Amino acid sequence: MTATATTVTPSNSYYFQNHSSTHKSCILKPNTTQWHTTTTVCRRQILVTKASSGSTGKGSKRGRTKKTGTTPDAVTENKLTKQQEEQQQQVSITLDDVNPVGLGRKSRQIFDEVWRKFSGLGQISRTTRPDDMEALDALLIREGPMCEFAIPGAQNTTVLVVGATSRIGRIVVRKLMLRGYSVKALVRKADQEVVDILPRSVEIITGDVGDPSTLKAAVENCNKIIYCATARSTITGDLYRVDHQGVYNLTKAFQDFNNKLAQLRAGKSSKSKLLLAKFKSEDSLNGWEVHQGTYFQDEVAFKYDAGMDAKFEFTETGDAVFSGYVYTRGGYVELSKNLLLPLGSTLDRYEGLVLSVGGNGRSYVLILEAGPSADRSQSKLYFARFNTKVGFCRVRIPFSSFRPVKPDDPPLDPFLVHTMTIRFEPRRQRPVEGSSATKQDLRSFKLILEYIKALPTGQETDFVLVSCTGLGVEASRREQVIKAKRAGEDSLRRSGLGYTIIRPGPLKEEPGGQRALVFDQGNRITQGISCADVADICVKALHDSTARNKSFDVCYEYVAEQERELYELVAHLPDKANNYLTPALSVLEKNT
Amino acid sequence: MALRLPTQLPTPVKLHHHHIKTSSNNARLSWCRTLSPLPLFSSSSSSSSSFTGKSCTQQMVVKCSAAGTANASAVNMGPGTPVRPTSILVVGPTGTLGRQIVRRALDEGYDVRCLVRPRPAPADFLRDWGATVVNADLSKPETIPATLVGVHTIIDCATGRPEEPIKTVDWEGKVALIQCAKAMGIQKYIFYSIHNCDKHPEVPLMEIKYCTEKFLRDSGLTHVVIRLCGFMQGLIGQYAVPILEEKSVWGTDAPTRIAYMDTQDIARLTFIALRNENINGRVLTFAGPRAWTTQEVITLCERLAGQDANVTTVPVSVLRFTRQLTRFFEWTNDVADRLAFSEVLTSDIVFSVPMNETYDLLGVDVKDIATLEKYLQDYFTNILKKLKDLKAQSKQSDFYI
Repeated sequence: MTATATTVTPSNSYYFQNHSSTHKSCILKPNTTQWHTTTTVCRRQILVTKASSGSTGKGSKRGRTKKTGTTPDAVTENKLTKQQEEQQQQVSITLDDVNPVGLGRKSRQIFDEVWRKFSGLGQISRTTRPDDMEALDALLIREGPMCEFAIPGAQNTTVLVVGATSRIGRIVVRKLMLRGYSVKALVRKADQEVVDILPRSVEIITGDVGDPSTLKAAVENCNKIIYCATARSTITGDLYRVDHQGVYNLTKAFQDFNNKLAQLRAGKSSKSKLLLAKFKSEDSLNGWEVHQGTYFQDEVAFKYDAGMDAKFEFTETGDAVFSGYVYTRGGYVELSKNLLLPLGSTLDRYEGLVLSVGGNGRSYVLILEAGPSADRSQSKLYFARFNTKVGFCRVRIPFSSFRPVKPDDPPLDPFLVHTMTIRFEPRRQRPVEGSSATKQDLRSFKLILEYIKALPTGQETDFVLVSCTGLGVEASRREQVIKAKRAGEDSLRRSGLGYTIIRPGPLKEEPGGQRALVFDQGNRITQGISCADVADICVKALHDSTARNKSFDVCYEYVAEQERELYELVAHLPDKANNYLTPALSVLEKNT
Repeated sequence: MALRLPTQLPTPVKLHHHHIKTSSNNARLSWCRTLSPLPLFSSSSSSSSSFTGKSCTQQMVVKCSAAGTANASAVNMGPGTPVRPTSILVVGPTGTLGRQIVRRALDEGYDVRCLVRPRPAPADFLRDWGATVVNADLSKPETIPATLVGVHTIIDCATGRPEEPIKTVDWEGKVALIQCAKAMGIQKYIFYSIHNCDKHPEVPLMEIKYCTEKFLRDSGLTHVVIRLCGFMQGLIGQYAVPILEEKSVWGTDAPTRIAYMDTQDIARLTFIALRNENINGRVLTFAGPRAWTTQEVITLCERLAGQDANVTTVPVSVLRFTRQLTRFFEWTNDVADRLAFSEVLTSDIVFSVPMNETYDLLGVDVKDIATLEKYLQDYFTNILKKLKDLKAQSKQSDFYI
């Protein structure tokens, strides 16, 4: 390709002053046919550079005129170079230029070029040459902004498709490729049949969602996950492995990867958590108060029970331990603190809490008090229950899982949270599995606190899960299927990832975009839907903020029988121009 | 696929029964015959050297009438796995229109098989998008049947390359393809033709398209014919790029107007038409929102690019003369065919058609169809922005790799 580099027009070479002198001398080839070779070859160069990155003759040319307009220095410099070039042009008429073979070739090129253009005039729909085609493609079709499928941001997004060979997954992969995403596909076995199904530039990863150790490589460098795998049979073991545990394993692996990234950026990234409390010294226990109370007063029982006691202390081994016992019926002990957030941060930019705790595996209630900080009497209480394990573990509690203590209160607004409480109550404790299980007294507890952090929120969904409504599943197994799917959905909701859960009606193998769709919540849909439409929703949901943290049912629009319309449905027809998903989802409940 | 093969192809016995039931003319459409190119093409190939517009017509008429008596009878050969309606074959998938068809099809959830000629540099982008690529050559009919196995719909957007004889692919290849499709029970055939092709028998390509339309109609296949005017994508290479590069733009002074259309819109409308059972057997014409002359297009490009074009206007008479000249020699016949459009271009003709009825038929909104102004504006905005970006980031000079 050095040959092509030899034919830069003089105006272009102004920009190439950094070239070595040898390079430059071969740039100039003055003879009678120069005008021609310049045109043809430059054309090719320009077209090539549009595809790859680099400048073009046009670009530098425009740049030159611009510069001459602005800085006088550039003008003189420009003149100088031009003079130099002219001198060199005069000097360098070499033997090459009078070589008859070379001249013949050049004259043929001229003729070809002219003839091509000339005969092109006689065509109605002009065919471009293959090499032009290649470059135009890059702009118009593949990644270019002229492509109707192109999505801004898609190029920097890597999507992991789980179940890439399923009916929906196949179409999802294709749609993602058309839109310019980088796609990874998790398959169980990368045999020839599977490889043939998938587009060639998809990165194929062998792994199994039922096996957590294989998932680490899969989630590496992924921004988003689309989960359209489903169990191949309705055997309970299969269902559990793929539909329930599979989702859990993958969310966990993905969160671990995200956490690793956030650590690398040393807490400054938007994915970094906000530290609410870290228990590493005596002082850090200041402000935490221990209270006790009972849900109800039982005069008789009160005389006989052994009471309750709890303390929060910093041990010699460097742990902050909240421990004690509650023997009173209906009694509880709690540890609470007024939250003092660092300046400039508010909890509404976060979407949940993460606690690093250890102890003997009791379950606790986390209570948030929210209301205007000026008037504490108006505060409302919200609670969420969490389980711990024996030994250390991290517990993630999204704000969406907090429920108001009084059912009539509005949902929790994290912005207003001012007090946090960890409460232990002996009710609903489950014995810890293991050898010591026989002796343990469920009314005593020990909770070692390490830190409490707030999980950052995001605008977009991270994890799209294709679930099901249970329609179309054989009746005898429907319950088990739904149970596994719901358990999978729950583990996704609890994961702290931004999620979108799509529950399509029975799938049909037909082209998408033909019929209006109904988006609904509450398990009321009755119709089927084409795989392609589900795939389209998956892909659209990736960058749609209204899809974040939503679960919804979707199916084809149906015509209700006369006078049996239960509710008004808003239909949305998928189409090129309109983004049907945003308006359809914006009316649906969040955090469902 | 191997499993499905026997059920899809007619066994000799069945074929035999078939002949008894239907008229003997059907033999022409049986796929066994199609495999042997000789009886099919003997008449045309023998006289191809003296191929002119007129003799072409006669031959084709003969052929069409020969196949004409075959009616819709040879569709379903027997029991077997039903072909999925989402499986389509795109013929000519690497072309300007073809690639848009493939993309649209993939996006709408079809399983797309692409028929491409075996070539040293295979069309990788099709595989990257997730289409299946099969090798066959329309000019070698024996390669065709294997690619049709398990296909529900054929979308035919192939045309010959500029440098090859116009008849090889566009007539002989298409005839073979249609016959194969018929014999193998393809359930729908979409054919792209040229607008007004019935009015210009003097232009070989248009004549061939018109004859193919007739042949398709007579073959009894369920089909849709879509006549097209011009592609916006073609204008980029023809005018926009040369203007940006400050090179000469060649145009004619012909007053012909063409209603250019975005191929992405064509693809979209095609699939709407494809799924609409009421359109079967009809001839649709797709035209852009407005018809443009060459001069108008150049002026528009100049305005959007913000610079003057260096226009070389070739009088139409020169084109006609060249065509007449090249027709005298056998070895320049292909050239003569390519220049044949000049016959059309000299006339004050408008390549356009009111689309309201088609829009209504397909249920498409007019405002969703791209206009040429919008299209070119998008192009220039993007390209100028890209050039600016590239200039900013590339101080390095070795971008001629």
